[in-house]
Amino acid sequence: MVDFIKRDKNDIFGKPILGFLFKNQKFLMALRVVVSVTFFYALYFGFAHPDKENIFTGALFWGVFWALFMVATLPTFGRIFCGVCPHGFLGKYITRFGLKKTMPNWMQNRYIGVLLLVIGWWGVYYTFSGFWNSPLMTAVMFSVLTIVAFALYYIYKDMSYCKYVCPIGTLTRAYDKLSFTKLETYTDRCKECRTFECATACSYDLKPFTFAHKNQNDDCTLCMDCSSACEAVKFKFTKPSEQLFSKFKTLNAEIWTYILILASIPVSMTFAHGLNRSSIADTMIWNKTAVYLGLSEYAGGFAFLYALIFTIFFSLLGLYLASKVLKKDYSTTFATLGYGYAPLFILGSLGHTLESFFTHEYQEIVAGFAQALGFAVDVEPLAHRGDAWLNYFGLLKWIGVIWAFILIYKRLKLIEATKVRKFFGYIFGSLLVFFFIGINIYTGYVFKTYGAKQGGHGNHGAKTMGKSAYEPSKGFSKYGQRVQVENVVIKDNEPLYFSLTNPNDKGKSSFSMGMFSHGDKKRVPTKKVWLVYGDEFNDSKLAPQTNVESFYYDTKQNLQETKVDNARGVNTYSFEIPNNGYYNIFAKNETLGDDTLFYKVAKLEYLHASHGSEESYTESIKNRVQTDKSDIDLIRIKDKSENGFFYRHFSGDELHFQALLHGEPLSNADIVVHMSSGWSKHLKTDEKGMAKFQIIRDYFPPWQEFDKRHKEEFLLTLTYTADTAGKFQGKEYKNIKYILTYPASYYPNSSDYASYAYALLLAFVTLLVSGIIVYRFRKNRTRPFNEVRYEE
Amino acid sequence: MKSKLKRIINNMNLARVRFSIQLISFALFVYGGYFAIYLGSKLPIFACPYNGKSAGACFLIPLQHQLSMPAQILLGGAGIAVIFGILTFLFWFIFLNKAWCGYVCPFGTFQDWLTYLRKSIGIRYSTYTQHQFEKLSKIKYILLAIVVLVPLLIGVGALGGEWGAAFCQICPARIISPTFSGDFSQWTIDFSTKTSMVLTAIGMVFAGLFLIGSFVKKRFFCFFCPMSALHYIFSKFSFVQLRKDGSKCTRCGDCYAVCDMQIKDIADDVVSTEILRDDCILCLKCVAACPEDDALHFDIFKLKAFSSTKEGFEKRMGIAKPKGDAHDKHTRA
Repeated sequence: MVDFIKRDKNDIFGKPILGFLFKNQKFLMALRVVVSVTFFYALYFGFAHPDKENIFTGALFWGVFWALFMVATLPTFGRIFCGVCPHGFLGKYITRFGLKKTMPNWMQNRYIGVLLLVIGWWGVYYTFSGFWNSPLMTAVMFSVLTIVAFALYYIYKDMSYCKYVCPIGTLTRAYDKLSFTKLETYTDRCKECRTFECATACSYDLKPFTFAHKNQNDDCTLCMDCSSACEAVKFKFTKPSEQLFSKFKTLNAEIWTYILILASIPVSMTFAHGLNRSSIADTMIWNKTAVYLGLSEYAGGFAFLYALIFTIFFSLLGLYLASKVLKKDYSTTFATLGYGYAPLFILGSLGHTLESFFTHEYQEIVAGFAQALGFAVDVEPLAHRGDAWLNYFGLLKWIGVIWAFILIYKRLKLIEATKVRKFFGYIFGSLLVFFFIGINIYTGYVFKTYGAKQGGHGNHGAKTMGKSAYEPSKGFSKYGQRVQVENVVIKDNEPLYFSLTNPNDKGKSSFSMGMFSHGDKKRVPTKKVWLVYGDEFNDSKLAPQTNVESFYYDTKQNLQETKVDNARGVNTYSFEIPNNGYYNIFAKNETLGDDTLFYKVAKLEYLHASHGSEESYTESIKNRVQTDKSDIDLIRIKDKSENGFFYRHFSGDELHFQALLHGEPLSNADIVVHMSSGWSKHLKTDEKGMAKFQIIRDYFPPWQEFDKRHKEEFLLTLTYTADTAGKFQGKEYKNIKYILTYPASYYPNSSDYASYAYALLLAFVTLLVSGIIVYRFRKNRTRPFNEVRYEE
Repeated sequence: MKSKLKRIINNMNLARVRFSIQLISFALFVYGGYFAIYLGSKLPIFACPYNGKSAGACFLIPLQHQLSMPAQILLGGAGIAVIFGILTFLFWFIFLNKAWCGYVCPFGTFQDWLTYLRKSIGIRYSTYTQHQFEKLSKIKYILLAIVVLVPLLIGVGALGGEWGAAFCQICPARIISPTFSGDFSQWTIDFSTKTSMVLTAIGMVFAGLFLIGSFVKKRFFCFFCPMSALHYIFSKFSFVQLRKDGSKCTRCGDCYAVCDMQIKDIADDVVSTEILRDDCILCLKCVAACPEDDALHFDIFKLKAFSSTKEGFEKRMGIAKPKGDAHDKHTRA
């Protein structure tokens, strides 16, 4: 026995809080008593209130114990559930006064527990849905287990029930291997030991001092009895699943647990709960088989059966092929590579468990315990389905897949073979992982392609549907009623202009629309614009379907057709934006008033920029577009400062425009600039057709509300009347009135919010202060030691 | 022929070679934009795109940008873009490993030049104590966590959009890099929101500390650089490695003395073969300073591309060799 030990850095017993939680015997005893009392109270509660009103029994057994606590602890701290389990806790005392017989050989079989769980629980669960669903059944089942457990503890020695019969005994032993903790001893101190207190303290007849050497913990339930008997016992942090990286005495029952649990939980769930809710559920093989045999009410059972068959088939086939290519016998390959399947179930399940904990289990647990204590509480769930952060739990499944791949790789290192053989051995050995990935992708594919069955269970269906719950029509239908083809006639001299937002959707944020268009990469992105009219920006109206000819020039200045879509009476003009650069879209409309032809053009210069593209911004991109399809044009002259796809106008910028008529500079034309804030300015073009103006600063919110991405719009309207007579649709006119619009937007200038003065001051002060500190520090260290002298 | 080439390489004046490479890459990554060179935005160096003339962009920018997508979008397929981003980053990274820091990174080069300046003025440099070294060495991982976690928090809606590119807002490279191409617009504090005000103010303080720090301490910032932390995660996958043969090491400490990053293991650790540590910038000064044959070597795959040799050491140190020396004969043969 060792009384005192200097603990390693990675020893949990040496950590302040964790050390208390895992080692303090009084605390552990108190915890075990509380758990046991709760356990038996829940059993009593189940018998006393056998109906659905009782939420406590379910919440304790299916909310706290299994699922949450088990799944959360197994891949992290290990089998600590066994350490507080009421059966084991009381069993130790029972066994002490029991008959201490040796368990007969036929019972010393770990498959008893495994099969009890797989068939007795999961098989029944799928086949007779709702069988376990009542608090009474839960209570009955756990009572039976408790009686059996106590009887076996009484008869047989060394806690044999836990090892062989307990349905989750082998399961916890198997998944414990993934944890990042391990119980062992300081072996160099154990060499001195001749008394072996750790082994005598162990109710399971284990020898903790051999754990380090054996690289495994056998049936240790982390009850920590040994740690109180001897200080040389340590509970250390390791790398996750570090035990599996090297050799140890393997146990086939553990590998079968991985395979069977994978089959009965995630795979069966995908079949019976996932795919069965798709609209093509009837074509699935288990449903077909069930119908063929006339047992369609037990279709869930067939799903379970097929899940077992598929999973076992793929795992065994993969391992068999791997053993062939590796030229090793099958049992060695099975025992070595099979451990790689461990993370597949537990991590996927962890994600699911945590997600349901936050969405509803938490609520049920709190309400259940409140019910048990006799009062009612009103709890809100911690999260709602569809909350963004819940999505991250879905990643855990894929971490499990990656972990499995890593483990198989590490386990393969333990086998000796050539590199080529190992490569193919790896592929075959991972067959089960590929199968698992496959059914996950397939489920996603089925729901994406065929959709969910109508009128399925709302509750579980929402889980798979939640991800695709974007309903684009929802937003529109609200406005759908409002949008009518208004029988308004636009006045002849009223200009039309393009808007990047649908005026009927005012108030909806249009900013984020283009931001995240990471959809189908193959599809060419398009941009939608709307043709509107009206003097007021905030009250612009959709232009009715008028006789408009629209076209656009792409970044390479090629003429293209605009796509006009008239859904719900709203004319939408869309154009493809495959490249970064300037797109010039035009809409032309000619109407004849008395004696005057109104020649209206709406122009929009759209600069498309997306982060994904690797195109570079060159001077040639700025080349002006020459259009011969419109008689009149207004061109913005791009100066040198415009040097990127993400260019924007800011207040204070000076904009230059050139007006063209039939390709010639147009002098003496009127240009009116309208700001969305109401400000306007009149300009006249000079003899070269040029006009310029400076964007004003027109945004003065309080500081708290200031938004540097605040976008303000403005509209340039060019009007010019030419005394050209002619004919339009057989009618004569004496002059033409050209009206061209050019909308644009601007943002607050950085000088509105960015300060050089404070920044430079701060940097300078930092420089000065840190410079002085460095100087003083060095000075102090170089100054020779001053002798202290006393004046006498 | 092969041994001759090897000898030339092993005898090279590393300082001069490195200076030239750094000069070229500084010109490329700070002024490359003038020549319409653009190498993408997944570079494993601080080629800051806030400098419009940069010939590429630091990977931390697209990484932060992509991770800040709403969680549903990020996990619903757009995550593939993140994975491809990391793969592109890795593609660049594996060719040079951390030599990206020591040879290519313009921000690192700038610090080296500050060091030349300090040296020419005749001010001595500072070092950390071992205790400080160990404590400060963790900061880069905290900064890497900011690079990754803040965007993820934006993605789930816990933080607002003004936290976007939070690391960039406090990064001194964002402030200093554009200055080289005459753009002083980053020397500002952004008062548009409280968050950006605080972040950009921290950025200004860091810029000030950077200037003082890298003047008195060699490669001051590299010690805290999150890119360096990111490099270290993947450094095992690189083709090029720094290796040490501990049996040939006499623990003379020359390598530690020349190390800009004060990595003690380079001299102390005679057990590990893979001697590349998280702070290493793979400048290879240690290899050049090592007087033992093949004790330290820079490997491309398993080929020793640049090894420490007695001869090379003597040549670089300018130690005159007496005529007729046995060693001299040996090398001539």
